[in-house]
Amino acid sequence: MLLSAIRSGDEQAMAELYGRYSGFVYAVALRVLGDTGIAEDILQEVFMKLWRNPEVFDENRGSLAGWLAVITRNRAIDALRKRRPESDIDDVVVSIEPDMVRGADWGRTLEKIRTTLSGMPAVQRSALELAFFEGLTHTEIADKTGEPLGTIKTRIRSGLTMLRKVLTTEG
Amino acid sequence: MSVHEQFADDLSLYAMGALAGEERRALEEHLKQCSACRQELDKLRGDVALLALSVSGPKPPERSRERLMAAIKKEPRRIEPAPAARRPWWRPLEWALAGAAVIVVMLLARQNGDLQRTVSNLSAAISGQQQQLAQAQQQLAQAQQLVTSLASPDSEHFTLIASNTPPQPQGKAIYSRKTGTLVFIADNMPKLPPQKAYELWLIPQSGAPIPAGVFKPDARGSATVVEPTLPSGVEAKTFAITVEPEEGSPAPTSKPLMVGVQS
Repeated sequence: MLLSAIRSGDEQAMAELYGRYSGFVYAVALRVLGDTGIAEDILQEVFMKLWRNPEVFDENRGSLAGWLAVITRNRAIDALRKRRPESDIDDVVVSIEPDMVRGADWGRTLEKIRTTLSGMPAVQRSALELAFFEGLTHTEIADKTGEPLGTIKTRIRSGLTMLRKVLTTEG
Repeated sequence: MSVHEQFADDLSLYAMGALAGEERRALEEHLKQCSACRQELDKLRGDVALLALSVSGPKPPERSRERLMAAIKKEPRRIEPAPAARRPWWRPLEWALAGAAVIVVMLLARQNGDLQRTVSNLSAAISGQQQQLAQAQQQLAQAQQLVTSLASPDSEHFTLIASNTPPQPQGKAIYSRKTGTLVFIADNMPKLPPQKAYELWLIPQSGAPIPAGVFKPDARGSATVVEPTLPSGVEAKTFAITVEPEEGSPAPTSKPLMVGVQS
């Protein structure tokens, strides 16, 4: 609904979308960059992208919150590494089922995600964080931690599996 | 769903944006052909997004909202395609001239061939025909010169759009159904990732999209496709552009970046 209003140029709808999602877009950018000024620039860039070209996100194919999360992270990593944005980077489908981000249960789900993360072995959580928030590749993580590539791969895969269970198991 | 086990680890890394080099290329190659792995990738990105959504921190300052709303006011969205009256009048003319020049060259080339056959067969009428032939050749040379200069690297392209608008990708397809002739010119095309190209599609009134040429824009984002191999007589509903592997695809593998509006 909000998106179709944005597609027809409704500024109020954009303000509402900003109200709903700016908090975590900013939080993700700030977590990656550690600099409030650049994080504000990324926030502006991500929302302007949606305003200028709402078609970049296809609501039939994925979750808006997930899309915003991934796009924000990618832009922030680009800024961190002073890379030019890759042109195909917006065409990502992020599927979260069920999409609980807007639901009443979101607060509880969030708690479960945080509990799952803090319950992971430190090395596993660290591998996920190095990849996602610092933008390191698996070989860079292996170099940094001095561990075999295969170990890093397995940790990341099983870390994501643990996160998925947060949404697929009730309670 | 059966995800290929040999790619399962790499798929997780790829969803995190942490897979590089040869492994990344191999996986991207596999993803083109494997819808099960593509679906799993979308879900893995969802898992990755949970990591992002779990981050807590301070709220953005109020000035961020003001800055965004001010920027939006400066860039009102066009609800409909820009009204015809506001379109610079010379723009269609420029396209039409470029397209017409190319079509003239092709038509004259055919006429030229016909004339040459006639000349050899009809020796009685030879002088008149030769005169026509010379005339046709002269016109052909002129048209060729025009096209060569339009397509030459030092020719300058100016795209005129409403001020305050950032340059938008745009393409113009001039298509003649009867002859199956197509000329396509694009400007401001976004830079492509490595090993990718744009592919132009003729979307027929019914049936599957027909490949109408693969192209890569130059450093300025400009590109042309002239007379790709097309079946003649196909009625075009529209044209569309997708990003494809650089060798081109027989059918689109991604959703269209640009779709034509008939003018």
